[in-house]
Amino acid sequence: MNNFTRRQVLRSAVVVAAAGAAGTALTGTAGVPASAAGAGAFGHGVASGDPMPDSVLLWTRVTPSPEALPGSGLGPDVSVGWEVAADPDFRKVVARGTANTGASRDHTVKVIAGRLAPGTSYWYRFTLGQSVSPVGRTRSAPAAGAPVDRLKFGVVSCANWQAGYFSSYRHLASRGDLDAVLHLGDYLYEYGPGEYQARDVVVRPHEPAHEMTQLAHYRRRHGQYKTDTDLQALHAAAPFIVTWDDHESANDAWKGGAENHTEGAEGAWSERFSAAHQAYAEWMPVRYEPGGQIYRRLDFGSLASLSMLDLRTYRDQQAANGTDGAVSDPARTITGAAQMDWLLGNLKSAGPQWKLVGNPVMIAPVRVPSTLSTAELAGVQKLMGGTSISGVPYNVDQWDGYEADRNRVVRHLRDNAVKDTVFLTGDIHSGWACDIPADPATYPATGDSVAAELVCTSVTSDNLDDILNVPPRTGSVAVENAIKAANPHVKYLDFDSHGYSVLDVTAAGVRMDWYVLTERTAAGSGSTLSTSFNVQTTTGKVTPAQGGLA
Amino acid sequence: MSRSSINRPTPGRRQFLQLAAAGGAAVVLSAAPGTAWAAPAAGRTRSYVLVVDGCRPDEITPTLTPRLAGLRAVGTNFPAARSLPVMETIPNHVMMMTGVRPDGSGVPANAIYDRAEGVVRDLDRSTDLHFPTLLDRLQERGLTTGSVLSKKYLYGIFGARASYRWEPQPLLPVTGHAPDAATMDALLAMVGGPDPDFVFTNLGDIDRVGHSDLSGTTLRAARESALADTDLQVGRFIDHLKGTGKWESSVVMVLADHSMDWSIPTNVVSVDLILQSRPELQSNVRIAQNGGADLLYWTGPDAERAAGMAAVEQLVSAHEGVLSVHKPADLRLGAEAGDLVAYCRAGWRFSDPYVASNPIPGNHGHPATEPIPFFISGGSRWWHPGRCPRSLQEPSMLHPPSAPFTGSKPRTAVTTELRGPAPCGSDLRAGQTVRRPSEER
Repeated sequence: MNNFTRRQVLRSAVVVAAAGAAGTALTGTAGVPASAAGAGAFGHGVASGDPMPDSVLLWTRVTPSPEALPGSGLGPDVSVGWEVAADPDFRKVVARGTANTGASRDHTVKVIAGRLAPGTSYWYRFTLGQSVSPVGRTRSAPAAGAPVDRLKFGVVSCANWQAGYFSSYRHLASRGDLDAVLHLGDYLYEYGPGEYQARDVVVRPHEPAHEMTQLAHYRRRHGQYKTDTDLQALHAAAPFIVTWDDHESANDAWKGGAENHTEGAEGAWSERFSAAHQAYAEWMPVRYEPGGQIYRRLDFGSLASLSMLDLRTYRDQQAANGTDGAVSDPARTITGAAQMDWLLGNLKSAGPQWKLVGNPVMIAPVRVPSTLSTAELAGVQKLMGGTSISGVPYNVDQWDGYEADRNRVVRHLRDNAVKDTVFLTGDIHSGWACDIPADPATYPATGDSVAAELVCTSVTSDNLDDILNVPPRTGSVAVENAIKAANPHVKYLDFDSHGYSVLDVTAAGVRMDWYVLTERTAAGSGSTLSTSFNVQTTTGKVTPAQGGLA
Repeated sequence: MSRSSINRPTPGRRQFLQLAAAGGAAVVLSAAPGTAWAAPAAGRTRSYVLVVDGCRPDEITPTLTPRLAGLRAVGTNFPAARSLPVMETIPNHVMMMTGVRPDGSGVPANAIYDRAEGVVRDLDRSTDLHFPTLLDRLQERGLTTGSVLSKKYLYGIFGARASYRWEPQPLLPVTGHAPDAATMDALLAMVGGPDPDFVFTNLGDIDRVGHSDLSGTTLRAARESALADTDLQVGRFIDHLKGTGKWESSVVMVLADHSMDWSIPTNVVSVDLILQSRPELQSNVRIAQNGGADLLYWTGPDAERAAGMAAVEQLVSAHEGVLSVHKPADLRLGAEAGDLVAYCRAGWRFSDPYVASNPIPGNHGHPATEPIPFFISGGSRWWHPGRCPRSLQEPSMLHPPSAPFTGSKPRTAVTTELRGPAPCGSDLRAGQTVRRPSEER
């Protein structure tokens, strides 16, 4: 979900070049970083993803010749070597091999490094001729059913290159204690310069300098993002577990189209959607290939399972607004039938204790409060889309717009008394901690909650203070209070901050820490701990926590 | 460990002992003939199972139940522990004490249709239980056991199996149970008197208030009051152990038999009403209503059973308040459970044979009432990390009640599925379901 419709964002913008910004890659020619020469053929970094007990997916992209630029379709086929070691100096290599790539897959490389020991840190690198890639660190998942004392995940979403710098990634990379990073979608944005940025300022222009609609565009945009040194640092520091939301293809995507897609003028949606998925499969460290399914489950011993959802590929078109009867139409779906069956099968009492769900859009119901001013309502509308009518769902792109599917999930959790389910959500450019009411009508009296939802804010993408054009923590605060008052299951809401979250999982509870950036448009922005919330085991409820993570 | 020297119980007339209790009241305990009344030698490990009947795991909080929360905080907690089918009081207490599923014990629910007698009745007779219990098997090892059960039907089914037992009194009208204060008086008298090696205690107030809590909201204050009072009673017990120097040698296991779910008056499922449209089925089906579960029995000709029950299953499954319908064997319930078991959804209840038969809003028996609190605590080092017996490092052998005594390979196993942090740093960890291939039949 994006905060603006396409028409709203088509306005004049001041484009500010990022040249000279410290800590961030400089774009040279068509997505090849100026620093690429220093990294030889590996100017887009290295990455790993989808850790399993005995294997991890490794990723890189090579530039074997000057013309082999992202999206160019040019360059020779090559064989790339890879190796995995038990130590950062590669004295104890435990696995190695070669992988072929070429222009047909935009010179990206994905390999599964297998026969690894569970719950173990490894280091990996690639070679092409005399060029050696940067070294990445990764970590296999604990063995199935094995005891696990603690897991720590970075949690991020909504990183708009044009809206600022990826300092959040740098801060997460520097921690050194993450088992994995969960990216919940909007890893990149489709807009061209001037269409969507930091308020009215393009901090760093997108490349290509127009909306991506074709395979070459998507490849070039992926290539540009992968030149960011903060992004590269985080990919090299920990395995990613990713899913897409809409901007990996187009705003408010659904199975038959998108808000930001004009059928015909921008080609056929089916072709555009496929192109977006192909580029994503090529450029992301994910066990997904075009034609397959990206929703998948990963387990971390006996402590946690993680179900990563795909809420774009199978969903029906969004309802017109919150008053549209389609919102509660049982025939409409956000997951599709097969994914819903799979999800409910994962949410059961047997198996790992914590049922974590990587959830691209919010599932907790949120109703528009009746006490907002016209300006505040307009701001919320811009941020969330949807309606300004009090008492109805404010965002029909979220699960709020697909009530039958949400009811299936809530009812399943309630009927079967499934405990310790936590939805981890992105998309909405704001930080939330919510109970998910067993019954919204009786929740104010009973407080009964079937699960918790923890929402990370955006890495850079605009939020409410940006839309209202007011300083952070001023005009938004009244809106936050009104929404919390109208939705008593919402315990925490920060509409203004940008940053990242860290999730700490133990048998006793799940805790999320929200870290906020000092200034997203500054390349070297600092970050501070903003707040922390707990979900204690068996409660399904969020409560404030004290202090930062140990 | 030292063991008491007592006479082995033998069949015969019971003997009674009247002990002073708090406030000058008297507690009357019974014992089998030949059982010694004097406390055995000190220095033994004592084990206590406290069942906080009907308590939900999220109801144990530092604010509302500080003593229970304190025990849990310093103990080993199993956050994913579940009650087992049917999630009712009698079968789960029986499973705790036998280690076998209902297909081994003959006790699948609170109420069954007794084909021999042609009536629906509670399984409250000592003869209903077909498997040895920990209460009598520990005696075979020369140890003494006690039962302090607040509910009359629990006293009934466990009967004279314990070395020492308390017959609940005074029984409150309607609820048929003794208040927790009286139950705790009895437990303290038993521990202060004959001081058995193992005592099985049921505290019934939380459950009984829960049953009367209208939709879980209007009488929430009463429920919370019951939780607070039960916590107070548990505190009395802990204080007694500490005050008498027994704490350091005591293992205290706290769990519930099931939790609780509330329904509004309109959310009622009557299988009898469903079958009214098919009188040929209605007349051949008997129903044992167990709150959140109905046990259905075919009483017509055997030749028509399969087709008849298939039709019943289809009709019952179609009701919006019905979650699922199962063959009893699939739930390991045994022949006593009849031909089909129907579960209701959360927020619903069964009421059979008549719509007005079950006016109680608080119910259990269905999957929504599976989660239970379960933790092991106490002053004994037995359960501390690194000090647990080998038996607890092998989940299939898990048997918290008996492990302090046997040290290895208990012959029975705890009944509830345990998932949570391991005791003793073993491989029984959060999220792990404890399977018991060694369960005895």
